[in-house]
Amino acid sequence: MVSLPRDISPGTAARRSLLADLLAAIAIALLTLQLAAGIGVVGFLALLTIATIVLWIVLEAGVHRLRRRGKAHI
Amino acid sequence: MPPARSARRYTPIPFWRRARRIFLLAAIACLIPATVSYVGAMSETHNVGLGVSSVEWLRQHGGGALVTQIENWYYTLNAPPKGGPPLRSLPQVGVPGVGGSDGSESAYRPPRVAPVIHPALPGEGVWKAAAKGAGPRPPILVTTFRSDPEYPQFVAGVAWIDSSLTHLSYMPGLVEPPSPLPNRGPSEVPGTLRKRVVATFNGGFPLETSGGGLIYRGKAKEAMVSGAATVIEYRDGRVDIVRWHDGPQAPANVWFAKQNLPPIIYEGRLNPNLSDGPEWGETVNNAVRVWRSGLGIDRKGNLIYAAADNQTVESLAKILQRAGAVRALELDINEDWTSFISYSRPGAAGPGNLLPEMFRPADRYLTPDERDFFAVYLRPGKKW
Repeated sequence: MVSLPRDISPGTAARRSLLADLLAAIAIALLTLQLAAGIGVVGFLALLTIATIVLWIVLEAGVHRLRRRGKAHI
Repeated sequence: MPPARSARRYTPIPFWRRARRIFLLAAIACLIPATVSYVGAMSETHNVGLGVSSVEWLRQHGGGALVTQIENWYYTLNAPPKGGPPLRSLPQVGVPGVGGSDGSESAYRPPRVAPVIHPALPGEGVWKAAAKGAGPRPPILVTTFRSDPEYPQFVAGVAWIDSSLTHLSYMPGLVEPPSPLPNRGPSEVPGTLRKRVVATFNGGFPLETSGGGLIYRGKAKEAMVSGAATVIEYRDGRVDIVRWHDGPQAPANVWFAKQNLPPIIYEGRLNPNLSDGPEWGETVNNAVRVWRSGLGIDRKGNLIYAAADNQTVESLAKILQRAGAVRALELDINEDWTSFISYSRPGAAGPGNLLPEMFRPADRYLTPDERDFFAVYLRPGKKW
């Protein structure tokens, strides 16, 4: 049986994790497109999902930055 | 000294962050085919704004229920208040002095529409010719009246179409009906027929919304639905509005037929289910007040078109009934799709909307239109 090398750099591990997530995302997308009533409603909801997640990431980054700045002043 | 490559440790991403990343990537993947389809649709010829085209695209691609829900919320939040100051005048429509019944038996003219609100305003319910120079017996008569005592500021526009002088033609639009048609036509009033066109009006819900059938040039393009209200033209030129009971295919004597929901008036009576929402298809609720339009037929076989803002299915049916319709169906709703245009001179010259508040321009059907519509032509041998 062939197994993936375990002694890998952090960068390779990150890329491997991203690839796994990408494959999972494609599977979810294909399933959604199959099950949904049409690509219009899928596109609309996808747009809302992207907007929500991007907003979440931006807010999270902002909060992190503020915390870091606060620690630096102490 | 920095640690060796193998000595550095990979910190795994927390589960919730990975889940978020997966959903973000999945959403982006889902957006790709939608974007390709949307951009393709928007780059085609349109005569409506980007907003309306986008909503139509969404509706055609599985988003009908979503659009309907959003529209319902919007219209419910913006429902008009009852009452308000009384109107002092009605919008000027038609040509004064030429129109309704003169009491002679030779040519039938419809009786004045009895006012609902008293005292009546000048000209309220009085039929006038839609066009100057249409002769003593104009083929199209128009009038306006206030149709709802609870909403005295709402004005309904009604047009009466003399079936003995005119014939009705069904004109496919650029994208509606979606079924392939061998002779789709130019989706506007054809140049060769403009000398005889006297009016044009909106053609009813898209078939995928209404679930209705269509017969075009004698052939069923969408299976006809039993019990649905149907505008029909027979091969001998007669028009009618019927409740369909002739099976899914085209009978030999039918030239065109378009269905739109159940009848709202049948044999002189309002449909008892007008307050039942689901029966009225995948549209905004029956009770939401929006621009609505409908087509009826009177006892003499003449067509009656009605449109007004802020109407429910029931109030629209009452307008048509008051104007003399004994059978009627609802046509399009919303300001973007409701149009009745009469032409004042041969050659489709001098187009004018039935009501000044109608949103679409009066030359709507003189350029290719997305939606199907009806054109009213003078019969051969009849002159302006």
